[in-house]
Amino acid sequence: MLSRQPGDRTLPTLITLLVVGVLLMTFDVRSEGGGVTGVLRAGTQSIVSPLQKAAAFVVNPVVDTIDSLSNVATLRETNLELQRRVAALEASLIAVDDDLARLELYEQLYELETTGSALGRTVAEVIGRPDPFDRALIIDKGTSDGIAVGQPVIDTNGFVVGSVQQVTTGTATIVPITVGPDGVAVTVEDQRGILLPQVDSNELRLDIFDAREPVFAGQRVATSSASVRFPAGYPVGQVVADAAPSNDGALSTTVSPFADPDNLRVVVVLAWPPDPVKAITAEEESEPTTTTMPPDGSSTTSTPEGSSTAGDG
Amino acid sequence: MRIRTILVTASLLLLAVVLQTTLFSQTRVFIPDLVMLMVILLALTRLRPEGVLGIAFLGGLTIDLLGSSVLGLRAIVFTIVAYIAIRTRERADLGRIIIGLWAGLLTFGGVVLLLVVGTLFGQTIILGEGVVDLVVLVPLANAILAWIFAPMVVRLVDRDTTAFRYA
Repeated sequence: MLSRQPGDRTLPTLITLLVVGVLLMTFDVRSEGGGVTGVLRAGTQSIVSPLQKAAAFVVNPVVDTIDSLSNVATLRETNLELQRRVAALEASLIAVDDDLARLELYEQLYELETTGSALGRTVAEVIGRPDPFDRALIIDKGTSDGIAVGQPVIDTNGFVVGSVQQVTTGTATIVPITVGPDGVAVTVEDQRGILLPQVDSNELRLDIFDAREPVFAGQRVATSSASVRFPAGYPVGQVVADAAPSNDGALSTTVSPFADPDNLRVVVVLAWPPDPVKAITAEEESEPTTTTMPPDGSSTTSTPEGSSTAGDG
Repeated sequence: MRIRTILVTASLLLLAVVLQTTLFSQTRVFIPDLVMLMVILLALTRLRPEGVLGIAFLGGLTIDLLGSSVLGLRAIVFTIVAYIAIRTRERADLGRIIIGLWAGLLTFGGVVLLLVVGTLFGQTIILGEGVVDLVVLVPLANAILAWIFAPMVVRLVDRDTTAFRYA
């Protein structure tokens, strides 16, 4: 099947390129994406991103039109359903405005300093993905819009999506938590655990190593204050199956994430930590209490140390 | 390689990269791997085999640089796929359907290799939901595209309007 001709330099070329490839892989793994490889990535993305943006500008309306045509039978029902939801959400918004006014009053009365509500938010459009197997998202905002590596990303409902892995002047690459190599520190009720991605599944594995009580299907899982990658209180998903702690106190179950990265068109990048210099200064001054604003609107009180240093696993 | 050939090849590769990362990142059923397909189709041209291997390496490296997985993963896989394509291209020159099947089989091998090497290097990002479906869907889409576009790509790169004209 395979034939070689005299003077054929294909095999030596192949071997050379494979060796270079393996060296690149080793170097990239060892440097954890930083250094020269990081510069190379940023450079390539800077060159290709204007073309991607131009292509997305043309392609997205076409894809939307095809989507609409394929869903034309249910379009009317969807429209009515959306109108109902808008009405319900407008009513909720009025209630939230009242709550916010009340909260502001209490903050003034008790001289509380708000931190969570001051998070900068950058809304960005998803313009593509690298290839069929790479589940990262490419967005149309970059360093010129204030986006930095490591910043958390949520969807428009406030559900955790992932974090920024690479950033150029005009684009950024988001790695969803469902495929990212790092776990996410979370809380279920008052128990702390770690969420890890699973192979060929959108669901995440929840591990709680010092479980005191069982977890039940439907319980909400939110980011923990022990997380260094995400601000506390952001909803991640819900428990799929009941699970009880084993004899050694460990508990393991699956969690279905609220956000679906495959169908996202718009994401929100959070400028978190809001200002690392201020955060360190505040920690040093050890203010007694600060108020944080989780996305569900409820106010929680924590010490500055509570949201600082623990790893995400 | 002449300047024109280099320009045409580079343009085709860039087009494949841009379309792959934008248009085909949004499709749900028809999911080709355009860059891998372009590498396979370039093996059918009169480009020097060493040149095709180099283009395959650079094409894979470009996707690696744009993505979030480890650098060099696709570069290695695409280079191996290009090598097998060069060594078996005589068998594809029997008709358009055979070219489609040949490209589909090579893509299947490439996809499996990508998953194996990626798993060995701990790349969880390529093992997300639906990865098993992709092992089937990506080669299928590449086979269809090869059946349609292979003669056009070869004629464009080689400037030979008679290439791959079957009675």
